[in-house]
Amino acid sequence: MVADPIVSIRDLSKVYRQGEIQVTALNQVSIDIQTGEFVVLMGPSGSGKSTLLHIIAGIDRASSGSVLVQGINVANLTESQLADWRNQNVGFVFQSFNLIPVLTAAENVELPLLLTALGRAERRRQVALALDLVGLADRGHHRPDQMSGGQQQRVAIARALVTDPTLIVADEPTGNLDAKSATDVLSILQALSRDSRKTVIMVTHDPKAAGYGTRSLHLEKGEIVA
Amino acid sequence: MNLPTFILKNALRNRRRALLTVLSVGISCALLVTLLTLQRELTVPPESQAASLRIIARNKVSLAQPLPAKQLRVIERIPGVVAVSPFTYFGGNFRDETLTSFAQFAVDPVRFRGLLVEARVMEGSYEAFEKDRLSCMVGIETVGRYGLRIGDRMKFTGTFYPVDLDLKIAAVFGGTIDDRGVFFHHKLLDELSGDPGTVGTWYIRAASPEVANDVIARLNGAFANTAAEVRAETERAFQLGFVSMLGNVKMLVLLISGAVVFTLSLVTISTMSMAIRERFRELAVLKALGFQRRELFAFILAESFGLAALGALLGVGGAWALWTHLDLQKLTSGFLIYFEVTPRIMAWGAAVAALMGVVAALPPAWQTARMSVTEGLQTLD
Repeated sequence: MVADPIVSIRDLSKVYRQGEIQVTALNQVSIDIQTGEFVVLMGPSGSGKSTLLHIIAGIDRASSGSVLVQGINVANLTESQLADWRNQNVGFVFQSFNLIPVLTAAENVELPLLLTALGRAERRRQVALALDLVGLADRGHHRPDQMSGGQQQRVAIARALVTDPTLIVADEPTGNLDAKSATDVLSILQALSRDSRKTVIMVTHDPKAAGYGTRSLHLEKGEIVA
Repeated sequence: MNLPTFILKNALRNRRRALLTVLSVGISCALLVTLLTLQRELTVPPESQAASLRIIARNKVSLAQPLPAKQLRVIERIPGVVAVSPFTYFGGNFRDETLTSFAQFAVDPVRFRGLLVEARVMEGSYEAFEKDRLSCMVGIETVGRYGLRIGDRMKFTGTFYPVDLDLKIAAVFGGTIDDRGVFFHHKLLDELSGDPGTVGTWYIRAASPEVANDVIARLNGAFANTAAEVRAETERAFQLGFVSMLGNVKMLVLLISGAVVFTLSLVTISTMSMAIRERFRELAVLKALGFQRRELFAFILAESFGLAALGALLGVGGAWALWTHLDLQKLTSGFLIYFEVTPRIMAWGAAVAALMGVVAALPPAWQTARMSVTEGLQTLD
């Protein structure tokens, strides 16, 4: 028996307006993603892979179609409901890390937990756990500018993990990293998918990075071609 | 970490800018408080309970026009009048000063005693002043300022009157709202000027504040259609009349205060907009992490309000400390006497700064609320 998909996308389209011109970023896309999958979205620039990722993660809206994540149609949520939903269900990893420079690594990881009802001690425990998971247990008091790019991206992964989300979305997480750091980051994402049954959706241009995923989807001109 | 710590860290991320913002708000606030205090000093004459009993009657034509001394007999018979004395401004310069800041008045010492309700003789005696036609009674502030003592002589060069005065200090008074004046015998002025028949104004004390208005009406009526009609008014109204001679000081000060507030708002709005614009990407990340618009608005508001409040504390507190501990009377040669930074003025200064803090948060908060996460993430660092 096949389990219900954690992400179910049907006839998803996204149309932008750039002045007088209509740009179709996604055209009638339909996919299912199962729990624990590590899906890699690939394709040339402008193919719609990042747009698809953003819509799945609830930071962009579709023009038509449905996006069900754990049975919830994300398109029907209000801005406020979407914000709560993201906090509880989605962990973000960005290409340029996007850590808050005035906060330490531990404080950056703690940020999403400030929106929860957890007490200070419990938050600290979770932060320590997340930092330990990415191998940075001893760097919690360092600020981002005191860390390498690879370490910063690992802190970003710890921040994405700390709320124990079902979905981790990563937008070119290795784009700004050297080969060694990229391997470390991809290994962590792979382990999360494989060992912790987290569903990881990653956008990348790098075919080597795609090798870490369990499935690759190729997009061109807003459509899945392979 | 908690949310207040997060807000504080954000507010202080660019310490130089935060410091300059706080200083800008502080200096603008101090200037605003100073202007409001100046306006109060110039437009609100000091009040005392006794002042509400006192009435000044001057020539209806002009303050510069004298009144006939013979009006005294009529005035003292008006019901409700308990004391009356001639009260003539001498306007002399003390020693070799070119502009003496304390006034000298010629009075009838016997009658004048009934008018000084709140005054206390600090040194010498009133009797000595009454008896000696060449003596004077001096306010304690003037005595202290010039280092004078009982028995010292005070020489004045007349400016209104073509005569000079050489007076011996017989008494020193204090305890009034304005302890600077010098009072001397009207008889002496009459002799020196050779004009015993006129006085500058009449200084009158009513039996109670309740009858003061009736006394004023009777005074005005008593000399209606005579060669020297009078205009009687309370001491406070008389002082306000002097203020109006300065022009529309209130409007002038209000205009300058408005300019200060406007500049203050520009400084804070510009700073907050700059601070938020350079953090659009981070705010977008916070939105992605699940922070709501209202929470981001609260962050921005708290940061802006916090900087403004700190500036207000510095500015209002600094102005209060400066003007309370500085001897402005000495520094301004008596032009400014009290320059009291009242709690009301401090509240105004703080309220304006706080309001600016809120107003400054609105444009960046609005921008942040409208910004989508994807737009924000595309913002360059």
